[in-house]
Amino acid sequence: MTTNASTRPLAGRLIVEVGGSIPVAAAAKLFSDYGADVVKVEAPGGAPMRRIGPFPGDVPDLEVGAFHVALDTGKRSLTLDLASPSGLEVFDRLCEHADLVLLHTATSVAVELREGLRLLEHRPHVVVLTEHGLDGPFAERTENGTSLLAWTGRMRQHSLPDEEPLRYAPYVPEMQWAATAAAVANACLWSSEHGGEPREVEVSGVEAMTGSVDTWFVVWEFQGAEMPRAGGQSKAAYPAGCYRCSDGYVVFASANPPFFNRLCEAIGHPELITDERFLTPAEKALHFDEFFAILDPWLRERTRDEVFTYLQQYGVMVAPVLDVSEVVTDRQAVARGSFVEHALPTGGTTLLAGPPFHLDGGWDHGPAPRIGEHTDEVLRDLGYSTTERLALFRAAVTG
Amino acid sequence: MTSTLLKGLRVVELCEVWAGPMAGSLLGDLGADVIKVESFPRNSMTRPLATVQPWPGEGPAFERSPIHHISNRNKRNIALNLRSEGGIEAMRRLLREADVFFEGYSAGTVEGLGFGWEVAHELNPNLIYLSLPGWGAKGPYQGYVTLGSGLDAAAGHTIVRGYPDRPVEDTQPIYHSDATGALAIVFAAVTALQQRERTGTGTFVDISQIEVLNWHLPALVADWAVNHRRQERVGNTDPLIVPHRCYRAAAGEAGEDSWVFVAAEDDAQWNALAGAVGHPEWAKRGHPWATITGRLAHRDEIDGALAEFVASGTAEEIADRLSSAGAIAAPAVAPWSLLSNPQLQARNWLQYVDHPYVGTQVFPGFLWEVEPDEPSWDRPSGLVGECNREVLADLGFSEAEIEDLYAQGAVGDRYG
Repeated sequence: MTTNASTRPLAGRLIVEVGGSIPVAAAAKLFSDYGADVVKVEAPGGAPMRRIGPFPGDVPDLEVGAFHVALDTGKRSLTLDLASPSGLEVFDRLCEHADLVLLHTATSVAVELREGLRLLEHRPHVVVLTEHGLDGPFAERTENGTSLLAWTGRMRQHSLPDEEPLRYAPYVPEMQWAATAAAVANACLWSSEHGGEPREVEVSGVEAMTGSVDTWFVVWEFQGAEMPRAGGQSKAAYPAGCYRCSDGYVVFASANPPFFNRLCEAIGHPELITDERFLTPAEKALHFDEFFAILDPWLRERTRDEVFTYLQQYGVMVAPVLDVSEVVTDRQAVARGSFVEHALPTGGTTLLAGPPFHLDGGWDHGPAPRIGEHTDEVLRDLGYSTTERLALFRAAVTG
Repeated sequence: MTSTLLKGLRVVELCEVWAGPMAGSLLGDLGADVIKVESFPRNSMTRPLATVQPWPGEGPAFERSPIHHISNRNKRNIALNLRSEGGIEAMRRLLREADVFFEGYSAGTVEGLGFGWEVAHELNPNLIYLSLPGWGAKGPYQGYVTLGSGLDAAAGHTIVRGYPDRPVEDTQPIYHSDATGALAIVFAAVTALQQRERTGTGTFVDISQIEVLNWHLPALVADWAVNHRRQERVGNTDPLIVPHRCYRAAAGEAGEDSWVFVAAEDDAQWNALAGAVGHPEWAKRGHPWATITGRLAHRDEIDGALAEFVASGTAEEIADRLSSAGAIAAPAVAPWSLLSNPQLQARNWLQYVDHPYVGTQVFPGFLWEVEPDEPSWDRPSGLVGECNREVLADLGFSEAEIEDLYAQGAVGDRYG
């Protein structure tokens, strides 16, 4: 999709991204893909995220890492040494023009950068991503996506009792943290248009995930007991979880009437709807095996896709368990353009997820910048003279 | 009073379960006036008629379900029968006055009720209308129904989780798509509002929760696209990082089932870890484990040594020790551990909230800190139809008309 930049929803906004991590880059991507001018400030060696693969052919290359290609779409890259006073001077001058600064650095660096931004005549909104928050006893701790997830309780909840707790897919926590930061940051932009003052926001990775919905603290708090971790298939409220078909799996979420009733009808056993064994939660919990003995053979005689499309005609909550090759060719994904082809700078193409929401003409996926590709352009825009730009480059402040 | 970032916006939510209601709460946290329209007389899935578990307090079960309380703060509730004349009129007036409307039913349902995009746009040309069925508003799966667990499965997330040596049946369903969906709604709504500033007119936003989740899995897609590789179920292993897994602790907050996730992503973190374990020599030049390649070659031995170390203490002590030294370490916490987490305590993160039926309960705090106007929990999970009269009066219904709506069954304030 090619769109006219000036008519896109976030056109005219300047966003500065600092830190080079997955969460800050993913948060900034939402702004660049919907039309904002995002300047990615990278350390002279390039953002650390550029080192995260997979890479085409498993050949490491800072310009084609999966996360850089997918998450830096449509941004400009400014290489700047933020540890030097000269670098900070460029940074502050850039931020003087910015609507929003997204920061994810070591806590002490974030605090220092934010202090500097407070002194600007035109203060941007500042959204700081931190693992645990800028204050408190854990403020300086290093985490990764999996350790963050461990802190939220999700690893324990989504694994089997007495076995190693399990993570989600790699980097999924970082991406959720990013989406959390982007949502509040965008609210800041809207507020500016309506006379709102500049805000300082903190988005702690642990808090962002622990406070969201798929956490089971409130259930424990209310019930005084954990949600049972009985394995993939619930034996109490069923069918829920993964079930085997002739060639793969489906996931059911059809324990509650009316979904249970629709399922019974669809598999030719309407009598089960009024069967006392399945009428109340208490009775149902005692009769899983009997129900499984009916459902399992029905599933095994049919393919996963047959089960999915047939049961959906009855309004049963069921979905296929797909692998990525099937996800990108799924007919719904193809019909909607859920994935887009995207050129790699080294030649060839890759696939990217398309717009996370469809807003007419609003979304695009420009190329990810080479390290420092726009350094000179950004410095010119900020009014640095040729001599100044050469001097900054000579001293390795820019690159 | 909560944050004022979105003050002045009127939002109408017509959603059930998690993703949509959570988005409503988040918009409410940021200062929007969120009106939650609940169905009547049919109760939603998260408002059961009978308690399934011993929930706190007394009174109707539909006011006491934890699943419902999780995602319904900071809204005004109204319960409408959208198949009645009076309910339809109330909904039309709500839409006329709203900036944002979002609905989370399967594609076509709300259209069938007479409130599709065309109708709504005619009622209110400025309205931002977001539709978020699981598979999106358009496409061959239109009308299909699902919960979050189905979306995680169909997006390719479920198949890459799980224990490598166990069948798929043992993989717990997860509902990550609800968390990601909620945030996408907030970002999308605010983006569309900014577009409205530019164009002067409302717009339709089609959100497929499965596409939102696809957005969160770039590596999976890239590995297939460029290397034709389907990622496998590898538990917590990272092929490039040793150590990177959970080890069982002797005890801890989670009792006998206490575990610590430990990782050292580079030599500096490994050096910190070795020192904290009491074996600084593991990181000294010449030791087979001192280098990245050495650790990759000795994954099993390192796992054995760390398993022994972690088993020597409680999960919390071990994590503290490793993490304070500079390695990555975290206990896989149980729900109750949030209450004693020193970091969350120091930041006063947990919220103690009073509710007419369940009394004072502890809830997770907000997703973000905003200075100078912090989000606050101004309204606990609303009662069924709690704000019927207030909202209807705002919409211009007289007292007599409101009584009439009750008499007709067009609005209600209890189920069953």
